Amino acid sequence: MRAEKTVVDDQTVELNLPSKFGYERIVIGGLAAFAKSVGFSSSRIEDLKTSVAEACINAVQHGNRGKPDARVLVAISFQGNALRISVFDEGAGLKAEPKDPDIDRIIEDLDPPVGFGVFLMKRLMDEVEFNRTSNHLHEVRMVMKLTG
Amino acid sequence: MNQRPNEIKIESHGDILLLDIRGDVTAFSEPSLNGAYNSTKESGHKKILLKFEESAYINSGGIAVLIQVLAQTRRNNQKIGITGLSDHFKKVFNMVGITKFATIYPTQQDAVSTMSALS
Repeated sequence: MRAEKTVVDDQTVELNLPSKFGYERIVIGGLAAFAKSVGFSSSRIEDLKTSVAEACINAVQHGNRGKPDARVLVAISFQGNALRISVFDEGAGLKAEPKDPDIDRIIEDLDPPVGFGVFLMKRLMDEVEFNRTSNHLHEVRMVMKLTG
Repeated sequence: MNQRPNEIKIESHGDILLLDIRGDVTAFSEPSLNGAYNSTKESGHKKILLKFEESAYINSGGIAVLIQVLAQTRRNNQKIGITGLSDHFKKVFNMVGITKFATIYPTQQDAVSTMSALS
């Protein structure tokens, strides 16, 4: 993924990151500036930051799974009055979407404390999809519409 | 990009033990948060107040660590309050259900005043 062009148009910003925790902070800094420039409110920008950070964390943890040369690619564009963000990793993707975390069961130690990332993405974004791309990447595609 | 370890200042306010947590809250916060929480068990306090920085970045790993702390407070019959959150993280904590097990207060002063009156 290092040198490949995965998205080709004149309105898309791409960020190509090491597959390590913490680099999602760089993405959300740039994303916040982009979203502000096209008119999103500060509360929606906070929703975006949380959602995209979680997608990047999942790409590192569950997608690339510690592969030392793997990368995480993030593509951001604003088209059709909506911000579209795709986060790509080199993993196989989800076999099934995780069920929503049940905090009562987690507190009682009946379930592990997992699944919050996808849960928050689905709650905070307008659309979330998990896809397999033609060049064998896993993509989390998120959309937030500019309304009002 | 390594996260700096959290600095956690521990203060007693009457029968409330305040854990003043500086920095971002992620999976890397687990040792510092658990270490600070363990000191509450040693002190015997039954009321715990977690104070975050309003600018803190909190992610799902940090939420998981917090929920594990909540589980321990429940097992140890401790009441827990949270303060210092931004409006966004108040919403997120409500979404994931943390507010079923901990009360969120707008300010430290409100938290201490309300929690002090709890039996």
